[in-house]
Amino acid sequence: MKNTSNKITDEQLIEEAVSGNNNSLAELVKRYEQTIYNFAFKVCRNKDRAEHAMQETFLSMVKSLKQFSGKSKLSTWLYTIVSNHCLMLARSQKKYDYTSLENEDGLINNINIADWKFSPERLADNNELKSILDDAISKLPHDYRVVFILRDVEGLSTKETSEITKLTVPAIKSRLHRARAFLRNELNKTLHA
Amino acid sequence: MKKETTTCKEVMSHICDSLGEDLDSPKCVNIKIHLDSCPTCQKYFDSVESTVHFYKKYDVELDDEGHKRLLSILGLKESDK
Repeated sequence: MKNTSNKITDEQLIEEAVSGNNNSLAELVKRYEQTIYNFAFKVCRNKDRAEHAMQETFLSMVKSLKQFSGKSKLSTWLYTIVSNHCLMLARSQKKYDYTSLENEDGLINNINIADWKFSPERLADNNELKSILDDAISKLPHDYRVVFILRDVEGLSTKETSEITKLTVPAIKSRLHRARAFLRNELNKTLHA
Repeated sequence: MKKETTTCKEVMSHICDSLGEDLDSPKCVNIKIHLDSCPTCQKYFDSVESTVHFYKKYDVELDDEGHKRLLSILGLKESDK
């Protein structure tokens, strides 16, 4: 998560915001809104739900900023809140038929190995490709999806991911392994040349 | 001494396990040797790597209206910092 200002640290802004400075609070929101919105979209795969999760996250932040201990980074705290809001939203929606990833043997196979007809560079203006990516990740159970996004997409460490998701390090590693294999297989169904 | 053999399935599993990490253990060295000489596993490796890149590149931007709605919900004005 990028800190866009070199002048004032997050800690200073938090201290000022807790003391009632709304200008500092607005600056904190500005620093993290894009990252939180983007993360929420990557979990929810829907812009309206992502915006709703982002709004709920910052409402929670404003309400609980006094309780923020500063032991972890603000970004870690915000990822925790937004992950929980995304989970609540998912539960309130119609239940999706998630794929079970318990059978690891079925995830890794060397039967269908081929070059892919698209590269990530082709993504920008390709809505069909985006739809394929949305469909594939939507089949992942919520905790697998969050682990994959935090570790591989956002680039957080296993320890930070464990702190955010409240999963053990071995559980994170296992979910990441299975999520990668599952998504790769799903994309392979449509992207092979 | 019995020579350890590494199967494609083991290599593929290992790729999903340790993508992006430093691979310096003896097991990892065997995996790398296998990968260099096995086009099937190399293709698998490329496709797992591409999978991650696809999702990394798929970003959305919060537009100005979304930013304004957020500030309004929070009862805040634009920061001048």
